[in-house]
Amino acid sequence: MGMLRKAKMAPLEDRMQKELAARREAAERDPFGFADYDHAQAEIGGYANYSYWGSTFRAFLKNRAALTLLIVLALLVGFTLIQPALPNQYVAGQIINHPTTGVQLSNVSPSSTTVKAHAKAGTQLIVTSWQDDKWAAVSNVLQNLKARTAFTILEYGEAYCKVDLNGQIGYVKNDFSTKLKLPEDPSATPYESRSNFAIKLYSAPDDYTNNGDPLFVKKEYLDISGDHAVTKADCDLHILPSTAPFLFGTNNLGQDLWALVWRGTRTSLFIGFTVAVIEALVGIVIGVLWGYVRKLDRLLTAVYNVVDNIPTTIVLILIAYIMRPGIRTLIFAMCLTGWVGMARFIRNQIIIIRDRDYNLASRCLGTKTYRIVMRNLLPYLVSVITMRMALAIPGAIGSEVFITYIGLGLPVSIPSLGNLINAGRKLISTSQSYQLVFPTVVLSVITISFYMIGNAFADAADPKNHV
Amino acid sequence: MVKYMIKRLLSAVVTLVVILTIVFVLVRQMPIEGYFDNFDKMDQDMIEARLTQMGLNDPMHVQLLRFFGQLLHGDLGASARYRIGADIGDIIAQKAPLSIEMGVMSMALAMLLGLPLGAAMARAKSRFWDKFGTAFIVFVNAVPAAVYYIYLQSYGSAALKISMLFSRDDWRTWILPVFSMSLGNIAYYAMWLRRYMVDEMNKDYVKLARAKGLSNTKITVGHVFRNAFVPMIQYIPTSLMFTVCGSIYIESLYSVPGMGGLLVDVINRQDNPMVQAIVMIYSCVGIIGLLLGDLLMALIDPRITFGAKEDAR
Repeated sequence: MGMLRKAKMAPLEDRMQKELAARREAAERDPFGFADYDHAQAEIGGYANYSYWGSTFRAFLKNRAALTLLIVLALLVGFTLIQPALPNQYVAGQIINHPTTGVQLSNVSPSSTTVKAHAKAGTQLIVTSWQDDKWAAVSNVLQNLKARTAFTILEYGEAYCKVDLNGQIGYVKNDFSTKLKLPEDPSATPYESRSNFAIKLYSAPDDYTNNGDPLFVKKEYLDISGDHAVTKADCDLHILPSTAPFLFGTNNLGQDLWALVWRGTRTSLFIGFTVAVIEALVGIVIGVLWGYVRKLDRLLTAVYNVVDNIPTTIVLILIAYIMRPGIRTLIFAMCLTGWVGMARFIRNQIIIIRDRDYNLASRCLGTKTYRIVMRNLLPYLVSVITMRMALAIPGAIGSEVFITYIGLGLPVSIPSLGNLINAGRKLISTSQSYQLVFPTVVLSVITISFYMIGNAFADAADPKNHV
Repeated sequence: MVKYMIKRLLSAVVTLVVILTIVFVLVRQMPIEGYFDNFDKMDQDMIEARLTQMGLNDPMHVQLLRFFGQLLHGDLGASARYRIGADIGDIIAQKAPLSIEMGVMSMALAMLLGLPLGAAMARAKSRFWDKFGTAFIVFVNAVPAAVYYIYLQSYGSAALKISMLFSRDDWRTWILPVFSMSLGNIAYYAMWLRRYMVDEMNKDYVKLARAKGLSNTKITVGHVFRNAFVPMIQYIPTSLMFTVCGSIYIESLYSVPGMGGLLVDVINRQDNPMVQAIVMIYSCVGIIGLLLGDLLMALIDPRITFGAKEDAR
């Protein structure tokens, strides 16, 4: 674009330079004399190197914060769309059970890996019956001891004590949950001891279980004989027979929050975009009719006065209450009042510009109304329409969160950011608060980005700022 | 002037009637379960009998006329599920005062904090207060209120060492709900006051005042603020609506026994007559707010001309 313009303008600029040089020369020769008449020079005109969109674009690029947010938003939206196609993803809403016990993996804290523990080479492990061709389910619980079972402590440790139970050497946990009976000087080993609670005897000074459930290790690291195994090398113990981690943890149903958050973002963005587009379309059509067709003005103004008088939230609540909950209901309810602002704006602008001379001339020349609207009127409003659409998106996303809180939002089977936040809300002061934090962070990034970009674009699109 | 006011009042009444009609007709489209407390146990004949008794089998226009007749006597009907058979007017009369008190407090707080913030932003162009205020406004406007209310409740009550829920007798539990409710309005007032003040500051009379040697404070408070405040009046209805919508969320979040919490309650219990009544009351609040804004504006700003607006084009 720029290159082309330069190529076109270069001869003109050359000629202007030459002319200026000639004038300077003439002025030096005879400062107050007449200049010679030159037909070619008389034909030369100036030009304005101004294009509206180019200037808008340049003004927008100057706003660093908005530009950064635009990039962040583009990456985020792009990632949201391709996320299901990435490798190692769980299906959103799929309940992930532990393969051996069948218990849901609920409230697993977020982590970038499924590795729960590391085992040194030569560690003795118990192999459970679950195995596939690659993985084996293991634990290092040698024995479950009943309360008040007596054993001999061989070595005292702060976290684990090495003990001898009828000739079997193992380790027991030494903390408030086991309450080992200790002598006055615990380092004077060996001594007889017992626990007041049922405890576990481990094969190594560590707990290789996931809250009591077996862990998984790749078979290539194991020397399996019967239900016992010894590790051949240092290896990782995973909470699942797979290396796909729960980046955002899991919720109380055992669903992967990472997958849910992105699925929810897709739902929320879909609602936001659809509402913005429908609002814009309806708003433009009605606004144009309202502004251009004089007979409709009275009627539409009356309709506007009624619709604008009802609080938006109340309409949202009422429609969501009457209709079946779902994405369509939400979109319908939001659009029902959303077009009003856009329509009024378009109407006011069209009333201002429709009787300007060029439109009058156009009408006199017999241009069809449709063409006048599309060619003469709407291009004036493109920038503001875009801005209003950009601001409608965070509004719609926020409304969805609000309506879900009231209990009229989407069913839980359709994950959305509103649903996730509503579910996480009750956990805010627990250790599972990450279930609220992740959806809110994603939501805030999206809404703030749209808001800032919309405003920055509105500033950039204002010709007053094109200096 | 008086003519304009009467005209405005009449149009508000017409709007009100239209909206009430729409709400009434819409709520009639709901499943009829919302009119009975023990729908599952009733057989078809009983349901029919009750429907006829309540007049729900009559044609729509008959129902509508009866409804407006009752409304003129101040009768909003009876609750079907929330408090069976209780008069809705009585229930709301119990709940409304607290909501009104809280709403008025939050709007007062919003003015108390929002206007100084806006003025400080206008004076400190692109210095600390302006940046702080802009960040605050962007945050409050962009992030859904539902989200930061939750965090404010949890961390605020922990910081103040008070209960997360509201209790009428403990004044400290008033702080967070009222403050949360005012946040949106603070941002709104600050944003518009700043814009108007910046516009006002570029006008010639300010230059004259400065040339006369008036101090900056005197110019800002005595001239710029006073002129910039007049158009702010028209934002009172919008801020009233903000407060109303905020109250729905906040009251149910803090278990405030007010109207907003009541709406969420009756929605969850599917009590059709109550939902209808409360939605209608909120619509009235909206209309009255807009009406008040227009009338106040007409009273205060002498530059407004009445009527004849439409002929200008």
